[in-house]
Amino acid sequence: MPPSETFEPRIAAFFCNWCTYGGADLAGVSRLQYPPNIRAVRIPCTGRMNPNFILQAFRLGADGVWVSGCHPGDCHYIAGNMFARRRFAVMKRLLEYVGLEPDRLQFSWISSAEASKFQQTVTEVTAAVKALGPARFLRKDLAEVA
Amino acid sequence: MANKILAKDQLGAFVDKLKAGREVFAPALVGDKVVWSPLDSAEGLLLDFSNTDLSPKDFFFPQTECMMRFANDAKAPDGMIMQAEPELKTPRALMNIRPCDAKAMQVLDLIFIQDQMTNDAYWRDKREKTLLIGLACNDPCPTCFCTSVNCGPHHEVGLDLLLVDLGDRFLVKVISQRGAEAAAGLPEAGAAEEVQAAELKAKAEAMITEGVGMDNVNAREVMELYEAPLWDRVQENCLNCGTCTFCCPTCHCFDIQDEVQGTDGRRVRNWDYCMSWLFTMHGTGHNPRGTKKDRVRQRFMHKFKYIPMKRGGEIGCVGCGRCVQLCPVNIDVRRVVNQMNG
Amino acid sequence: MDNQAIAQKIREVAKKLLSEGKVDVVIGYAQGSVPMRDYPYFAYTPEEAENLTWSGFCNSNLANFTIRRPGRMAVVAQGCVTRNLVGLIKENQLKRENLFVIGVASPGMLDRNKVQAAFPGKLITSVQEDGADLVVTGRGFAERLPRKRFMKDNCYTCVQRNPVICDELIGEESEPTHGGDIDKVAAPWEKLAAGERWAEFQETFKDCIRCYACRDACPLCYCHVCFVDESQPQWCGKTQDEADVATFHILRAFHCAGRCTDCGACEAACPQGIKMRRLTSKIEKDIRELYGYRPGMSLEQEPPLVVYRPNDPQDFIK
Repeated sequence: MPPSETFEPRIAAFFCNWCTYGGADLAGVSRLQYPPNIRAVRIPCTGRMNPNFILQAFRLGADGVWVSGCHPGDCHYIAGNMFARRRFAVMKRLLEYVGLEPDRLQFSWISSAEASKFQQTVTEVTAAVKALGPARFLRKDLAEVA
Repeated sequence: MANKILAKDQLGAFVDKLKAGREVFAPALVGDKVVWSPLDSAEGLLLDFSNTDLSPKDFFFPQTECMMRFANDAKAPDGMIMQAEPELKTPRALMNIRPCDAKAMQVLDLIFIQDQMTNDAYWRDKREKTLLIGLACNDPCPTCFCTSVNCGPHHEVGLDLLLVDLGDRFLVKVISQRGAEAAAGLPEAGAAEEVQAAELKAKAEAMITEGVGMDNVNAREVMELYEAPLWDRVQENCLNCGTCTFCCPTCHCFDIQDEVQGTDGRRVRNWDYCMSWLFTMHGTGHNPRGTKKDRVRQRFMHKFKYIPMKRGGEIGCVGCGRCVQLCPVNIDVRRVVNQMNG
Repeated sequence: MDNQAIAQKIREVAKKLLSEGKVDVVIGYAQGSVPMRDYPYFAYTPEEAENLTWSGFCNSNLANFTIRRPGRMAVVAQGCVTRNLVGLIKENQLKRENLFVIGVASPGMLDRNKVQAAFPGKLITSVQEDGADLVVTGRGFAERLPRKRFMKDNCYTCVQRNPVICDELIGEESEPTHGGDIDKVAAPWEKLAAGERWAEFQETFKDCIRCYACRDACPLCYCHVCFVDESQPQWCGKTQDEADVATFHILRAFHCAGRCTDCGACEAACPQGIKMRRLTSKIEKDIRELYGYRPGMSLEQEPPLVVYRPNDPQDFIK
């Protein structure tokens, strides 16, 4: 990979299988251009999201984490995203409280038909994380000797 | 080797001489706790303290120690080859270490560098490069019980020098060759000072009233102790946390793990604690110490029975009393060992 | 009723329960072998019940010892502890019919670290409660101090001093609170600029030795396999690296969301005196603000993270 002078963030993206992942596929099939910085992880439902995953992503070097799923009321499993919504609120507030920059952890509802919303959101998220620079907190750094 | 005298107004010069080519550490009051800290000069030297909350074993056996590093890349010329971490660069001196802690390091020598087959290079390197200057306890705490576990407030084992506070001066007991070199140039001690120190020692030993009886613990068969009913009650309020293990100067269990991140890798050793169920968990799912009772019993049996059996009578405890003070549920090792003693 | 009288009454009730065979064990406190540390005690017979005591230094959370415990048990519990008992019943770790609550109105529990901090580096040999005073004796000193200056932080802002479930109340109910306003002290780092918060967080936890006393003293932490001990994948490293220590505390705080009653057992157990409530109080505050919920106040409440409302806050979601 050629060296780059500008910082390119790596964003761990958790997409629910039924909605956002489908929306991302549709964006691809429609040839919508969007920044390549996300690494998509497919989960069955945002209800599967675990705060462990978010922290693990930051730990392994992600500069940003983005979780996206079905709109409330449209969840393939009826209410998975409703439970997730409460967890997200608590986790985001907690992480911001300890100093994580708010733009590093983002959430969205994107349905499988919303290819343009997907394109728009991924562009916004990438720009926001890029502006913050590389993530410093919560990153496991092997060079450290405790 | 003759004992010396160090007048308190000469402490500055003594510390400065120690610092030539060495990093010096001593217990210091930081906030409202006494912790091991770098010593800049004799100005900050704390003499009126009981002991630090955490033992100085961290100087020789850090809680997290990187043992080796490697490039996690099979194609790189030095990839997948372990590179040892550098040795300790600068020698050190620990001033005002308590005799119990110094003896504890000696006990740990029996574990870490016991023979040619078991020769922990990381431990050995730091031990060989560290001078231990003890401060005798003239006022032991109510939780100290060193005298009943082959140690004492003026114990000399494991130290290079032992300072006995006589008021306006210290009697400097010279114990090792290295100690003699560090004390070279100090005036020799006189008989009166030796007598005074001996009196302080006797007085300190007499202050320790709540100890442990070890006669029956030594005499009883190991399985008899193992199967004694006392463990059912001892384990009741234990939280199975690591407080006692981590503050103890003789506890030494560890867990080695490789951590890999992309093309970086390192092998790291961390303190571990036998109070944890994970400590003995097998990959198969079997756990030889699966119940809390098993684990609580293990701690006391290991320190007071198995170690003496295997290390020629050496006890895996020096009576510093930290666990007694810090255990969140007040499991008092003295109470337990006295129950083991019958 | 002063603590001596309460202790006496606890002993009477315990003896009666045990001799009548109503419970198999009474879980209370006995006097510790060091000052300021009464410890969880299990009395199985009326004779053993004689060892039960009560003081401002009864700082473990006894609900911790009821989890998945077979048989019938009586537990000495003040307000926050009874809230945890309610929580455990709702989480199916404890059956109401196996539990006899010996309720006590909390006198405001005492913080041994605060008492020690008033005598830095000095040896304390005894601490006695005497009405509104604390008599602290040590090597070369004896002082009388106002008890109310040395309470645990969480007790100042307690909202439930009286038991929420109770089978026998010792003494009288007290004023429900100690008068402090939790919202004035909760989540202290909110007042800081974002860039300063991480430094405060690190400073608060810099002495952590990963002994897990906080987790093990907590009645909420009872997973068979704690996330810390998982290895495939390893969520949280075992080293003292900043990222590992931070991950442990953040995740543990999250796991207590909607369940923590601010009993302070974590801070009381910590051998390093870490003020972890600076972190956990944020969660408690958010749960209250977002979902109007206070854990453990009644057996009929629904825990906030297992239910949802159609109009839950989502202004942070694109």
